Amino acid sequence: MKTYDRGILSVYDLKKPGKRLVYYLMMLVVLIMACSMLYPMLIIFFNGLKLNTEVNSFPPTFLPSEWHFENYRTAWKYIELPLFARNTMFIFAGNMTITVIVLGLASFSLSRMNVPYKKAIGYFFLLTLFIPPTTYIIPNFVNLRDLGLINSFWALWLPAGANAFFLLLLKSFFDGIHMELFESARIDGASELRLFYQIAFPLSVPIFATLAIFVFATAWNDWYWPGLIMSSNDRYPLATAISKYVVNIRRLDINLRFAILSMVTMPPVLVFLLFQKYIIRGLNFGGIKG
Amino acid sequence: MDRSTAAPIRSLDEFAKRPPMKWSKHILGYLFLLPAVVIFFTFLWLPIGKGIVYSFYDIDFVKGDSFVGWANYTKIFKDAEVTVSAKNTLYYMMLGILIGFWVPILFAIAISEIRRFQGFVRVAAYLPFVVPLVVLYGLWKWLYDPVGPINAALEKLGFSQVLFLTDKAWSMISIVFMETWQSFGSAMLIYLAAIMSVPRDWYEAAEIDGAGVWKRIRHITLPAIKNQIILLFLLQLIATSQGFQTQFAMLDGGPNNSTLTYALLIQRYAFTRQDYGAASALGVLMFLVLGLLAVLQYRMSNKKEE
Repeated sequence: MKTYDRGILSVYDLKKPGKRLVYYLMMLVVLIMACSMLYPMLIIFFNGLKLNTEVNSFPPTFLPSEWHFENYRTAWKYIELPLFARNTMFIFAGNMTITVIVLGLASFSLSRMNVPYKKAIGYFFLLTLFIPPTTYIIPNFVNLRDLGLINSFWALWLPAGANAFFLLLLKSFFDGIHMELFESARIDGASELRLFYQIAFPLSVPIFATLAIFVFATAWNDWYWPGLIMSSNDRYPLATAISKYVVNIRRLDINLRFAILSMVTMPPVLVFLLFQKYIIRGLNFGGIKG
Repeated sequence: MDRSTAAPIRSLDEFAKRPPMKWSKHILGYLFLLPAVVIFFTFLWLPIGKGIVYSFYDIDFVKGDSFVGWANYTKIFKDAEVTVSAKNTLYYMMLGILIGFWVPILFAIAISEIRRFQGFVRVAAYLPFVVPLVVLYGLWKWLYDPVGPINAALEKLGFSQVLFLTDKAWSMISIVFMETWQSFGSAMLIYLAAIMSVPRDWYEAAEIDGAGVWKRIRHITLPAIKNQIILLFLLQLIATSQGFQTQFAMLDGGPNNSTLTYALLIQRYAFTRQDYGAASALGVLMFLVLGLLAVLQYRMSNKKEE
């Protein structure tokens, strides 16, 4: 009995020299790919440690010849990173709260509660997926302006609840919870609100973790839209501030630029490495649902 | 602890006095839905509807809006930049397919065959997707620099210098290459999950029947991920047809409008020329074209679930 695992190739294939060569070539390509992924990542950090003259030298070096950790101190003082990071976290917290409350309740209702015209309401939400956001980005901006939300965090928080993809994600999660749990709780006399808080909510911690990662990624990444919404620069999130004051400023020394960029890269990379499991799960889920 | 004594038996009168169970349940169900309905209406349906209305208006934040009929549409049809940007967008979508689309499929198949360090390679491939976009812009501006590392490598290999960003012929290609580097990892993981779920016995059976490696890939692996391929193909088309942020951040549509995509032109109309009416009209036009793609994608993803 063969218990070892095989893929497309079997051990017999690998014994033939021609196929073996192709296999090794393929491994080499994968290795080159992995290096080409890691090189730019590492160079962000190393460039931040070099002298500016070294970053500008041709051909560029990989490791710094001298390690200048003081670059990070200078870079820290260049723009108010803590302020912008706080704004980003503020946006993330608000977006997450609104998403959990608004979409959590709505998806629970659609999935588990007895609501007439459920189908029509479902379409009201899901049809928005068909309309590409770029096509209404301008009216969206004008609309927020009409509502008087420009330069307010509410202009980012409230629309965060209008996400049909997350609604779908939560709804199919609630669909997957066993009905018997709810039935037995109902028989024991639990109210619908209690079903939500004491059964649905604790069970859905993993899906909210996945959601939190998506929301965090958006808050950390999004630079264009907040830049339009926020007219005073002390409300910019980190990404917008970096694009306006670091990436597009030519005067700034390149080593300092990279020092700032590496400080911004660190948190999401750490979050990713820590929560890999949830991220990959959410991703596969997203891939299936589109 | 002692449940038998906890709940007293209710009298029939008490049941009669309570409102019908069904109705109160419905109220709560609707209450749960209410915030979402309000928010979806105000921040999605309202702007979508307003977009169509605005396309017939001249939007002026100071003097107020005035109805202009089809003027916005005739204006954009006369604008040569609209044609240029539409062509650029098609070119961008095509490059995305040519340069980027097949990469994750190829690597997913290759990585599924790796016995050791598979986890490491997966993480490495996905890592750029985690890096904030603005960092990527800063990084790649430096990588693409005339005296940057890519040109240094090219020189070492005996090629002449390439002006990745400032040469009209290269600018869009450079952007697509950078985006492929950044995002192929996520697509790769989706393909990889599908490939890994193919029962190993199928390959065994095929091999015994004399199918070579290529035939096994062609007749087992690729059909197994066919749905994902079609779905991601459509998703990529939908995403690239709306792309403008990278073009804006890296080159602001230049050099010589060679990276001016349709969506970027919409932003220019609105935020540079302050012509929100014409920008809305461009959006409506785009919607008419893209709605079709979105419906196709929906039908695909529904088929997939069955």
